[in-house]
Amino acid sequence: MSIERKDDHDHDAWIQEKDLTPVEQSFLTVLVWLDKRLRLVDYLELLETLYYRVNLQMPKSHTEQYNLDNKFWYWYPLYSLGFFSTVAYIVAAISGALLGFYYSPSAAAGSVDIEGATVAYSTVAAIMTDLNFGFFLRSLHRWAAQVMTAAVFLHMLRVYFTGAYKEPREVNWIIGIILLSLTMVFGYTGYLLPWDQLAYWAGQIGVEMSLSIPLIGEWVAQLMFGGFSLGQATLQRMYILHVFLLPFIVTTVIAIHLALVWMQGIAEPH
Amino acid sequence: MSDESRGRDVVVPERLYKSVTVFSTLFAVVAVVGGFIALDVATNAGRAAAADVNVLVAVLGVLLIAAGGLVYAFASRFRASGMAKDKDSGDETPDNG
Repeated sequence: MSIERKDDHDHDAWIQEKDLTPVEQSFLTVLVWLDKRLRLVDYLELLETLYYRVNLQMPKSHTEQYNLDNKFWYWYPLYSLGFFSTVAYIVAAISGALLGFYYSPSAAAGSVDIEGATVAYSTVAAIMTDLNFGFFLRSLHRWAAQVMTAAVFLHMLRVYFTGAYKEPREVNWIIGIILLSLTMVFGYTGYLLPWDQLAYWAGQIGVEMSLSIPLIGEWVAQLMFGGFSLGQATLQRMYILHVFLLPFIVTTVIAIHLALVWMQGIAEPH
Repeated sequence: MSDESRGRDVVVPERLYKSVTVFSTLFAVVAVVGGFIALDVATNAGRAAAADVNVLVAVLGVLLIAAGGLVYAFASRFRASGMAKDKDSGDETPDNG
């Protein structure tokens, strides 16, 4: 690819010989003058070529390979739930990154005038009350998380009841189950971050659930919650899981999940 | 609708058509957005009292919006050969397949 001008058409001569009104002639002359200097069309054509060449490198989608009519049923609402949860994930990722500028995962005593309030709780309170658009930002993050959890679950129901998990899509079904579980871990770790009463006792339930696992229960509680009673270690682990570990894992697994859908095609309703 | 009532139609080479589309759209977008910004500045986003409105800037804003619309409408008379004149005259059915 180069930005060498391939088009040798003589626009000026063409404009002269064509039967144009004076307004049209000057309009076109101005645009050709601009085009020769700014060369926007050349750059756009470059992007177009790039787009098509990249597209040629992609594996053929199922609909292309078998020349299927893909026009109508993508719009069937239940077939949009997977896409819907992807959109919710992206919204949560962006709003979460912004919240990360203002949130601090510390269980030390905070500045809010409530007995036992921590720094974590205080920063969330500050986001809600002091930060411009902070209330909106946190609400957006919360709602995106709720929507994603709901959409992922309904997506699983749709896949199950239309039989879309069957051969040859078993692997993607398993990956989907893993993603559903990871989504819930994502939701749970985020739920604990405000470190209010709701979060604290949800954390207590988590510790006790871990401890109830036979043989490895104590080890799991230590690993996930940093001990058997809640404290700074718990909050910090939830934070790192939520903003570091899970984003990498879930994004990668979503990419694999979508790539498989791309290559295998969406199972058509029967 | 006959061709006459739809206004003049000028067939241009494809490369020229691209220039027309790109630059007239660019100009129209910049002019209309700029016009609204000028209106906002002149009227303090609609909050200014009538006496405090900067008439010169407000008129400039309206003119910019009109100019953008005019250029956009004017550019629509140019088309490349083989292009359909409207959505019903091509060889594609208008019913989403």
